[in-house]
Amino acid sequence: MPYQIIVCGGLAPDPLQTLEPVSSPAGPALKNEMMLPAVFDPWAGHALYEAAHLAKQHPGSSIKVVSLAPKAKLQQVMMTIAQKLPFELVPLDGPGGGFTDAASIAAVLADAIAAIPGLDKSQVLLFGGWESATRGAGTVMQMVGEKLGITEQFLAVDELTIDADGALVIKERVEGGQHQVSRCTAPPAVLAWATGNLSEPANHPQTGMANMRAMMPALQKAKPASLTSALTFADVSLPAVTRQTRIVKDVPAAEIAREIAEWIKQ
Amino acid sequence: MEKILVLLHTAADGGLPPAALETLGVAQSLGAAWDLAVLGANAAAAAQSISSGAGKTLAVEGDAFSQSRYSTDAAAAAALIQASGAQIVLAPGTMRFNRALPGVAARLNGAADTHIVAVDPSLNVHRWFYRQRMEGTLTRSTRPWVLLIEPGSNPAATTAAGAPAELLSVPVETRTQVTGFQSPAADQQTIRPGASLLFVAGAGWTKKQKDGATHTGEAGEIILGFVQKTQSSLGSSKSLVDLSGEGQAVLPFLTHLHQVGQTGSTPRHRKGLATCCHGEEPHVVGWRFINERRAINLDPACGWSRGKADVLYVADAFEVMRALAPLL
Amino acid sequence: MTPDEAPELKPLDADILCVGFGPATGGFLTTLTRGLGEASIDSRAMPGLPPQVLCYERADDIAFGVSGVVTRARAIRASFPDLNPDEIPMAARVTDEKLVYLLDPHGASRRPALMQFADKLIEACGGLLRAEHQGWALPYCPGFLHKRDGFIFSLGQFNQWVGQQVMMTGLAQIWPSTPVAGPLVENGKVAGVVLAADGSEVRAEFTVVGDGPIGPVGRRIDETFGMPPGHQRDEWAVGMKMVVDLPDSCDLPEGTVFHTIGYPEPEIFGFFYVHPGRVASVGIFVPSWLESPVRTSYRFLQHFVQHPYLWRYLKGGRMRSWGAKSLLESGRRGEPFLTGNGYARIGEGSGSTNVLTGSGVDEAWLTGVQLAEAVLDIYREGLPFTKENLDARYTAKRRASWLDHESRIAEKARNGFQRGVLQGFIGMGLAGLTNGAFSIPRPSEDKHVRTAEDFFVARLSRSEIETARQNAAREGKPLHDALMDLCGWPPIEYDGKILVSHQDALLMGGKVQAPPDFPDHVVFRQAAVCSHCASHLCAEICSAEAIHVSTTDPQGVPAFDREKCIHCGACLWNCPDSNIEFCAAPGGLHSAEN
Repeated sequence: MPYQIIVCGGLAPDPLQTLEPVSSPAGPALKNEMMLPAVFDPWAGHALYEAAHLAKQHPGSSIKVVSLAPKAKLQQVMMTIAQKLPFELVPLDGPGGGFTDAASIAAVLADAIAAIPGLDKSQVLLFGGWESATRGAGTVMQMVGEKLGITEQFLAVDELTIDADGALVIKERVEGGQHQVSRCTAPPAVLAWATGNLSEPANHPQTGMANMRAMMPALQKAKPASLTSALTFADVSLPAVTRQTRIVKDVPAAEIAREIAEWIKQ
Repeated sequence: MEKILVLLHTAADGGLPPAALETLGVAQSLGAAWDLAVLGANAAAAAQSISSGAGKTLAVEGDAFSQSRYSTDAAAAAALIQASGAQIVLAPGTMRFNRALPGVAARLNGAADTHIVAVDPSLNVHRWFYRQRMEGTLTRSTRPWVLLIEPGSNPAATTAAGAPAELLSVPVETRTQVTGFQSPAADQQTIRPGASLLFVAGAGWTKKQKDGATHTGEAGEIILGFVQKTQSSLGSSKSLVDLSGEGQAVLPFLTHLHQVGQTGSTPRHRKGLATCCHGEEPHVVGWRFINERRAINLDPACGWSRGKADVLYVADAFEVMRALAPLL
Repeated sequence: MTPDEAPELKPLDADILCVGFGPATGGFLTTLTRGLGEASIDSRAMPGLPPQVLCYERADDIAFGVSGVVTRARAIRASFPDLNPDEIPMAARVTDEKLVYLLDPHGASRRPALMQFADKLIEACGGLLRAEHQGWALPYCPGFLHKRDGFIFSLGQFNQWVGQQVMMTGLAQIWPSTPVAGPLVENGKVAGVVLAADGSEVRAEFTVVGDGPIGPVGRRIDETFGMPPGHQRDEWAVGMKMVVDLPDSCDLPEGTVFHTIGYPEPEIFGFFYVHPGRVASVGIFVPSWLESPVRTSYRFLQHFVQHPYLWRYLKGGRMRSWGAKSLLESGRRGEPFLTGNGYARIGEGSGSTNVLTGSGVDEAWLTGVQLAEAVLDIYREGLPFTKENLDARYTAKRRASWLDHESRIAEKARNGFQRGVLQGFIGMGLAGLTNGAFSIPRPSEDKHVRTAEDFFVARLSRSEIETARQNAAREGKPLHDALMDLCGWPPIEYDGKILVSHQDALLMGGKVQAPPDFPDHVVFRQAAVCSHCASHLCAEICSAEAIHVSTTDPQGVPAFDREKCIHCGACLWNCPDSNIEFCAAPGGLHSAEN
């Protein structure tokens, strides 16, 4: 059967950047947030690649990416992501940082998804990352699912297969390096992905150009999302991480091994 | 202070996981009145075993609730929260509750915060943002408010048995069945959350060594041998896991589950030993909760030397690990 | 688009293709999209739609261009008459500008006798001249050098600001992380480009070549169509800089600019300017006419930031960003054919940099604007993109503008540096003050990099050099550090903040990346040539320690580490035998603050 796959995914600062918090009248923010290069949130990216993989196997499936971020940044990041696989973008213009309230984000996303024309809940698979690289809360997908009335939900998914009966067979990460395997008879379902098993698709300029024909007008028309927050921050700070590193140099391997063995046994 | 509900679940064997007692410890430290609610296999007995000091003691159990599953867990948790009437809910941040409770909060028009490492009596909670790069202290006015306490970040409570639990009946509606678990065979399991030592292998193990050749086979033997002998937990850098994923002749036992760092896990172990990885910031954020850190790297100016490790051994990891094996 | 409609790998069609997104293409796309927005122009490739305009950028983000810029911004301001620097992160108006002569506090640089005399004079009359901290701010900054009515930018942030505006018009697409392997040349005409990732062709009626002086499209076009008589690209520099969080103790206001000469070597020019938010850009230019085989810019940069004149502001600061790039310093003499059938050249790769005023970004922007105006005319007139039509509209416009006028003045301004550093300064002054009427003639043979034995003849013994060389070879390291140590340059005391190892600069500052699925983009063409090479200038100049002399390769072919390369391209113009191919590849710097 075809699936309507909806992938929720925001932006995160390029992971290599140095991050620092600052206070603003609206609460904490990231220093130079608009300057920092952004990437599509890594876990949402895994969800998107898995969506493409599933859609390819099930003709007639569609992928829509619902993304809340400052739209100029979103446009910039889409120029990379849109080259990887075919999808439609549902852009929402709003703050993309980690200090916004997850509950408010979930409400905005749920409203945007509910308003997608032609949405057939019996075909919906709601994908996203299990956490964002910004807030790292791992709560948005479940709340969006609840607001859309989807009560089959899976967190930290690493694998989805469709069995002969059309049921979803899902592997979720659980404690201790294990996977829990579940069978869900049919959509709709929420799958919040961990890393999955697929590598990042290579860029295809043709795909990018074709995607952009619809994305550019959508981005131009993206409406500002109205977020509310019941959060009050008392403080955001960088941890003091610096240790006094003792550097052991020019010492025979055997001696180092002895020292390490002793430390392990302590 | 507002009344608290301590919401717990049992493990598959009917016992309470360590994270449950840690959450109870946090609740007790706040000095407020608290109710206790437990869901899962053998929930009523488990609840009674620690209910001394609780106001109400509630439980949901039965076959449908012994499985870790969103639909049934969410229904049970919502019923327990409503039956208690408490507006502040403390729960352990296990995978089971991380999955279920944010949705429950939304169902009850409340909010949930996860990965909480500490709670003040003023209900300011502490948690990490941007992949453990910065710590925030926050509170919120939304109720009910579900606070998921990060396992391993608080001491366990001292408990005593108390009043028996009142069992709630919750209707079961689900399209999902848990069919089992998959894990490597016991002798191949290399992720051990309870181990005191984390051993991290970096991409350097697969690079050309002094003789101009790679020695990936030996690297694999050294790493696995060490991890099995010391019963430590194995972690890896992203670059090495990515290499394994691309089907190259590298270290086949490494998967994304082993990845420590910005796009991987942030495990909690008392000690950590890093080998052949450079100690860049995106990797080291995964070490946030490793107390004692040592690293072996050929580069004296690598990231570890800049205050990220307690001790950096500037040496060939192959040589050191070969010499280390017989000493363990 | 749905997953079912995934396109096959077939040639793409567009109307206009741009290669490289820098200030020239920024000017081009800004002007073009405005024009397309105002006029009703139809695509010739896809009738019924507006012209399909694509831009391919090699780097992983449009903000990853390297350069701090102090510019008069005449052309940029003409495009944005109400330009408000507050809208662009890290931008500020120039508030104070000084040209500073730096003495050598270590006596380790190689200064001509006259310069040594000047040094002594300044030291002796320091109070009178108001020299301080081993530096003397010249009382006069020649008119041709000043930027006092201009702006300070971070080029990365400026590019990002421009790119976002261009894309929001919906009339042009800028694709990052998309390296172009080369032009598609058919029957003497450029018919599009070939992408490096999968070899697919993108066809267009018109290709805009703005991929800079080391870009593969520009270089292939030069190989195919040749250079105009008497023109060649033989003068270069490595520009290396860092962006620094200034310490609390620094009280310099934003907009402060220092241009420096004299240190760390007399041939190396430097700069220091202060952005808003207590951030500074500090860097140097290491030119091709520096005869020293000691060429690694990073060590020079470390000494430069520690010069007492600057260190009083920088000490205690923290490196936020770091990077390097090659600059084409041939000026107008490096200008290729600006147009051909189906293509035109803009920006630095088109020889637009003014080597007298040391200004390139604004000139590059103007070339883009001029080309866009020409393209709009050609569309309005319904003409094909022939060399003739482009020359009549683009080349003619460029020739009639201040850009060409000033570049003629500058054309011979740096000739003197091929004779000596003092002759170089005199030549610049002569050309600048006489509007190019007088200059020092270029010698019949240019300077070239000398062997260590030859260059250090009076300072180091042959045995010292040979021992250093053997040690370096054994450890697979370049020779420069050992030679600088022997010459009396003090060791660098790392503080982990602003003074960090070269590799840490890559990680902390440049945040260098290489995607896993591309082959090595630096290729040593013939092993036999490398095996006879004694200088290994490719490794010596490498801005990122990505090339090192191999200790294991039997033919002595240097080893290349793709994961460290920042795509500065310096290896390309330093190889004395032109034995290096520098191919298109994504990756490199991941800092948006340069």
